[in-house]
Amino acid sequence: MSRARDLIELDLPFHVNGTLDAEARAELDAWLETDELLRAEAASLAIIRDEMQAEEVRSPGEFGLARLMRDVGREGAGGGAVQAPSRTWIWQAAAAVAVIGFLAQAVLMRDQAAPQGYELASAGVPGALVVAFAPLATEESIRGLLVGQGLEIVAGPSALGLYRLDVIEGGDLEAASAALRAAADIVESVENAEN
Amino acid sequence: MSEDHHFLVQQIAKGDKQALAALYRAYERPCYKFIVSRLNDPHEAADILHEVFMDIWRVAASFEGRSQVRTWIFGIAYRKVIDVHRKRGRVTVTDEVPETGDVAEAADAGYAAKQEAEHLAFCMGTLSDDHRSAVSLAFYEDMTCAEIAEIAGVPEGTIKSRLHHAKKLLLHCLSGRIKGRAVA
Repeated sequence: MSRARDLIELDLPFHVNGTLDAEARAELDAWLETDELLRAEAASLAIIRDEMQAEEVRSPGEFGLARLMRDVGREGAGGGAVQAPSRTWIWQAAAAVAVIGFLAQAVLMRDQAAPQGYELASAGVPGALVVAFAPLATEESIRGLLVGQGLEIVAGPSALGLYRLDVIEGGDLEAASAALRAAADIVESVENAEN
Repeated sequence: MSEDHHFLVQQIAKGDKQALAALYRAYERPCYKFIVSRLNDPHEAADILHEVFMDIWRVAASFEGRSQVRTWIFGIAYRKVIDVHRKRGRVTVTDEVPETGDVAEAADAGYAAKQEAEHLAFCMGTLSDDHRSAVSLAFYEDMTCAEIAEIAGVPEGTIKSRLHHAKKLLLHCLSGRIKGRAVA
């Protein structure tokens, strides 16, 4: 115990997170054996750390990556700083890009002879429904609605901001379409696609 | 792992988007957790995370490899959030450690807080950004004192001091909330 208690105490968080070197750890361990208050504080910090590590956080994930790739592509193509569009639009676009990516991958796996690259997303204009989401609809509300009705975005947004949707295999297109029309706060318009 | 991430940054500097995607997948979640813990706004945190990785894309060539990739990325995030606070004109919430209250009692209350995530979230929210950052990096990310000091750009002693004060404030806050609930 070469250091004073108040200096040792400063190392407590790093004892709890396991990043102290062996020497400092041994020194603190020795104090912990004899100092009840220090032990109680260490235990409390350990609980706080456990609680924080167990905390579930919903990060942007693949949507965020799609957004990043889009903006990096724009910056690479046009140069200069990228203006941030509105958040709702970002999420809608990111969701579309992510779903298109997934769809393209699925089609590639199903049909080895299919052409590669972005041609897949535009070929044949997929989708049974054409919708416009409400400008203030959040990504969360859109996702909840689509997942709940067994729908997925297969193309979009178009220049007019329209998305093309399709039912996931086995889904009920008519019921899903009716649900979209009923969700006026999320979906502005729903039309059957004319392929 | 660290060497892999250095390699990714080198590739990003050459314009490799796939390397950027790989680095994003490696750090997106912890970096977002760090940002949101300081902003309490998931949407704004997502925007800041995006800006962090846009900056990485733009300045990867300037990364000299003297620090770890993780501390470099968290350092960018750290400064971005400071900018947000500056724009908001945020006032430091709590810096004074209360003199009243028994630390041992507060520590006991910490035990009782085991299942009280909402209390912890509340109490974290009462800390100043400096304190909250230090706690987040120490306990979310299990970083060393040296790493946290590098990210925050301050001496290690300052980080130890911030954590010490943050610990007292957290335990005091938790103690008060849990006692309050027990009384109610």
